[in-house]
Amino acid sequence: MLRNVIALTLLSASLLAAANANAADKLVVSTWGGSFKDLIDEAIGKEFTKQTGVEVEYITGGTIDRLNKAKLAGAAESDLTFTTSHVGWLYTNDKLFETLDMSKIPNAANLVHQAKLSPSHIGVWGYVYTIGYRPDLVPKGLTFDSWADLWKPELKGTLALPDWDPSHIIAVSAKLSGSDAEHWEKGEDKLKALIPNIKSFYTNDANSQQLIATGETPVQVMLSMNAYHMMEEGVNIKLAIPKEGAVLGVDAMGINTGSKHADLAYTFMNIALSPEVQAKIAKINRGSPVVTNAHVDPEVAKLPGMLTTPAQWDATLNIDPELRAEKSAQWRKWFSENIMAH
Amino acid sequence: MTRRPAFVLWFVLPSALTAIGLTIAMLTVLQYSVRAYVPGSLDVGGFTLDNFQDLLKSLYAQAFFNTVSLSFKTALFGLLLSYPLAYALVRTRTGWLKSSILIIAITPLFLGEVVRTYSWIIVLGSSGFLNSLLLAMGVIDTPLQLMFTQTGVVLALVHVTMPIMVLMLATGLSHIDPAYEKAATSLGAGPIRAFLTVTLPLSLPGIVASLTTAFAWTFSAFATPQLIGGGKVSTIATLVYQLGFSSLNFPFAAALSVAGLVLTILLLTALKRMTRSLNTVGGH
Repeated sequence: MLRNVIALTLLSASLLAAANANAADKLVVSTWGGSFKDLIDEAIGKEFTKQTGVEVEYITGGTIDRLNKAKLAGAAESDLTFTTSHVGWLYTNDKLFETLDMSKIPNAANLVHQAKLSPSHIGVWGYVYTIGYRPDLVPKGLTFDSWADLWKPELKGTLALPDWDPSHIIAVSAKLSGSDAEHWEKGEDKLKALIPNIKSFYTNDANSQQLIATGETPVQVMLSMNAYHMMEEGVNIKLAIPKEGAVLGVDAMGINTGSKHADLAYTFMNIALSPEVQAKIAKINRGSPVVTNAHVDPEVAKLPGMLTTPAQWDATLNIDPELRAEKSAQWRKWFSENIMAH
Repeated sequence: MTRRPAFVLWFVLPSALTAIGLTIAMLTVLQYSVRAYVPGSLDVGGFTLDNFQDLLKSLYAQAFFNTVSLSFKTALFGLLLSYPLAYALVRTRTGWLKSSILIIAITPLFLGEVVRTYSWIIVLGSSGFLNSLLLAMGVIDTPLQLMFTQTGVVLALVHVTMPIMVLMLATGLSHIDPAYEKAATSLGAGPIRAFLTVTLPLSLPGIVASLTTAFAWTFSAFATPQLIGGGKVSTIATLVYQLGFSSLNFPFAAALSVAGLVLTILLLTALKRMTRSLNTVGGH
């Protein structure tokens, strides 16, 4: 009997040790689910495993859900986190990201300045939020040369905006009112004048894609990557780049505070910023490279909303991510009370 | 005095631990509701009652009204549609028909609320199934606006709550001895009168239980009002999500949750009081 107990204990201990050894050999990456996780795995994860022999394990979830988990967990559940630039500031402000040692990410030397976000997080790809529309479902001859065209009376009841983040349309309204995101209040009346044209507010990327694919909302302020995805699915969508500039978005990565595999995380980040991987990201998901030395397929580079030159990056409407992190709640509350409530 | 067997305590332990966990969670939400929001941070500030004061704004009052209105309409229409189905399920003697009704009634339970709601987006859209059918039949000239309206949300919510309502009503109806109806019929009552004066009153406990469940369930519904309402039909649940998870304003989202919880308790208590007499009528 005693022999059996000892054998069982030894077996359990060895299994536990093996499990721990496996955990030590993995880099845990926190990311969004769906196509974004697939993109990271395909473009970066596989190359990382090829170069280091270390497997990558993904923890997936929504941007805010993962932020909450990181805050509540105390100890780092992941080694590296992908998030949006302004949410990265929340990780940074709450000391959930390590301060980066840039000497360990040599490829970051080629980052565009818009992707140098904070001492703790840097960009991994760029995109724009701009006007996406169904040419077959909007009044004939209608063009979107300026953001002001969204306010045209003939677009009454056709427009959808993201419901979780009004920062794009708030920045646009401020710009059209001669101001900027920091002094966004000057655009309040302009934004209120858009209410008759707003048909709905979409909840997530899938909802955005469904509403434009079914024609329910033939005009959207939408993520360029979503529009390209729908075009590939055969939906007749056009992306317009207004003369004031499309609203820039940058997705970012940072190393979680307390990560036991920080060196591996640095390697992962460096691979992510290599010109080859950046070109691959552009090819797979139409994410704009954040480094200046990536060679993007010319057919992809010429797509509206792709940012492949510093001039194109500079022509975007860039809301300071730190300001966005600070103002998000205020903007969202004002938007709920004054725009969505009508 | 008899001693309670020790194993009974073991049976009680899981529910007691769950209750403690839920209480701690509720106290945490309560604690958040009286703390100040700190812009740009997940940490909360000091004590404040401003979050509750903000709830008096028209948007939030409208959200409370919408939530109660949606819950009431869903429970009512759900009852009207579920009762005949439950009645047929209990009374039919044909095996295959009983099985068919049961399968139709409970199959939606196996699909998630999100899947069911996405299906309704396809059905209710301007070029969706319903509008296409009505246009083809010449009933309407232009598509009806069902998406992003209360009507659309109620339609989808009725579908979400119907399986549970059918099961609860069927349980209540199955306890009514068919001999009562036969007795009424033999004394000269027609089928309608027998139903209205015998079956319906006796099924009141089931009706009350299903109405209360549907009301409470709809009160906290999130995915359906969020997706079908498209931000145009604000409810307490959708606002809590938007404020907490989009804006990270957890204190205000917590205040909204606490107010919603208080309102639910008040409404369900009122409903229980109102239906107490009905329960007595139905009891047998």
